[in-house]
Amino acid sequence: MDLITRKTELSANIVSFCRFLREKGFVLGPREEADALEALAVTPVKDPDRFRQTLRAVLPRSLKQQELFDEFYPVYWKNLEQAVDSKVKELGEENQKPGNKPKKQQAPSLQQIKDWLYGKPGEEEAEIATYSAHEALGFKDFSSFTEDDLEEVKKLIILVAKKLAAQFNRRFRTVPSSANFDLRKTMRKNMRRGGEIVDMYFRQRKKRKVELVLLCDVSKSMDLYSRFLVQFIYAFQTIYKRIDTFVFSTSLHHIKDQMQERTFYKALDNLSETVPGWSGGTQIGSSLAEFVKDHGYRCLNKQSVVLIMSDGWDTGEPEVLQEAMRQIHKKASRVIWLNPLAGNPNFEASAMGMASAMPYIDIFASAHNIDSLRKALGKSF
Amino acid sequence: MNHPEYSKVQSLLAQQGYISDPSIVMSVFLGMQLGKPILIEGPAGVGKTEIAKVMAHALDTDLIRLQCYEGLDATQALYEWNYQRQLLYIKMEEQGNKSLEEKEDTIFGDSFLLKRPLLQAITHHKAPVLLIDEIDRADEEFESFLLEVLSDWQISIPEIGTVKATHIPHVVVTSNRVRELSEALRRRCLYLYVDYPSYEKELAIVKSKVPQIDTQLADQICRFMQELRQMKLEKVPGVAETLDWATALSSLHFDHLEKELVEQTLGVILKDWGDMRHTQTSLSELLEKVNVVSKME
Repeated sequence: MDLITRKTELSANIVSFCRFLREKGFVLGPREEADALEALAVTPVKDPDRFRQTLRAVLPRSLKQQELFDEFYPVYWKNLEQAVDSKVKELGEENQKPGNKPKKQQAPSLQQIKDWLYGKPGEEEAEIATYSAHEALGFKDFSSFTEDDLEEVKKLIILVAKKLAAQFNRRFRTVPSSANFDLRKTMRKNMRRGGEIVDMYFRQRKKRKVELVLLCDVSKSMDLYSRFLVQFIYAFQTIYKRIDTFVFSTSLHHIKDQMQERTFYKALDNLSETVPGWSGGTQIGSSLAEFVKDHGYRCLNKQSVVLIMSDGWDTGEPEVLQEAMRQIHKKASRVIWLNPLAGNPNFEASAMGMASAMPYIDIFASAHNIDSLRKALGKSF
Repeated sequence: MNHPEYSKVQSLLAQQGYISDPSIVMSVFLGMQLGKPILIEGPAGVGKTEIAKVMAHALDTDLIRLQCYEGLDATQALYEWNYQRQLLYIKMEEQGNKSLEEKEDTIFGDSFLLKRPLLQAITHHKAPVLLIDEIDRADEEFESFLLEVLSDWQISIPEIGTVKATHIPHVVVTSNRVRELSEALRRRCLYLYVDYPSYEKELAIVKSKVPQIDTQLADQICRFMQELRQMKLEKVPGVAETLDWATALSSLHFDHLEKELVEQTLGVILKDWGDMRHTQTSLSELLEKVNVVSKME
């Protein structure tokens, strides 16, 4: 077991503090460490508060990191102080403090700090190992969804959104400046000056405007996934602007406006206030028919991609669903159905209303965890 | 380049009428000392841009502003050749007896070069404050291009050669968090988050910017704004709106808030129809909170 030794030099302390923050996910290289030291060198440090402010101005790079910094700073220096006081710290004693265990939020980070301070990385690794083994068995689907996973999903969506946004049309439009010189237009416009070329015109390919329509099932049977779905919708909507979003259980709800909030929790608040029938029964057929009738003229055209996320358990008439799907398929450019149950080896499309919808789906894929979602989205866009 | 002391930065900001707090002073000070750009994030209307303006004033130098927008590209930020003028010049010189080289030298000279903000900033006679406003609106490609300029401080123009910075400008980058900025840009900058001010800070700002205001009115306005920001609004009003409102009410010679008055002037602080309606319905409640608190004092 390593002992934490009191560093007498300031620079050594700063470097170890940076190391500590690095463990917490801060991206800090030698340059940042140098910056921090330089900043301290030029700042007249009179009191501990000034010292903290200096580091706070240099080290965090985003609001989230700033908040983390505020949280970790006292923890680190307190731990260091304690280590200095007793010189030698027993490992067991800290862990057995009664207050530690019930605080789920605090415990892991504190534990990590201590592990790091005492140079005991073994346990952490073991924990990760079991965690990934867990996932390999396929138990961990979206029903156990963490913040980190949300980040992962966001990254995934950013990739998709970029692809969607970067599709170019074959036609051109005139722009103030670009690398493409529009010779024909320039000649024509300058004819009035007797062919003397004064004004120049440029052109650029038009961007293809893919309209995305998200239709999400939030009925009882989708309960395990709906938390993720809402996060998915929210993340997608913040990243990609040409999108329209609906949720349905027994009836259809347009939720684009409710989701337009800066924070996810606010959006969630809005949703719970305005959408009745959350986790209710499922009427996919009539909901989709409602969509075609009320929003089809606006949302469905040859530029639109319809993304339906549902398990396909329909309690209504299969004919209604079939007709609605036929309409959607006819009007939209592509229909994608993501089914969380399709990842299950026992899944059979015929068992549910799915069967009647199948002929009208361009891409049918499973989306029960992040990996399958990545595959499905990669295939679709 | 002279580096002002920490306390001097503090007093300079104060002299310019900018009510700051320790974290702002520290960032501005370190930005100058370490020669690093300051990345300022925060909601709209809390005085992010103002920091750059005040810095320019305090350092007695020019402010060069690059307003970012979607589709902004390198030429609009760096330089462009004044094409029409070049053409006219060639036309005029057609009868002259200048050699081809001489002509070429002239038309690719300084007077035919339209300097855009970034080139302006690095060729300025004195280190200016370069404000890159709302960087999150520009595309990611522009962001990486900007990184190159910000780290090398030189711009190459094929016809002239490489232009090196005579003075390294003080750079302030602002963002409204519409889009996440790249890690690379963040790493090059000092990070500063400016939030809506506390009641005390806002009151100080109002009193400093609208000195003729009645004390009671200023107090009520600030309390009202604090309460208003707690509500679920689409567009939360910033300090800019508070100041507009304070100026408007004080120039109408009011010394306290009344329900009718607030109703009539709500358009100064709220810019969204939904917000207006929402606020109007709960106005009595809001005002009650404000008044009750002030009576208690």
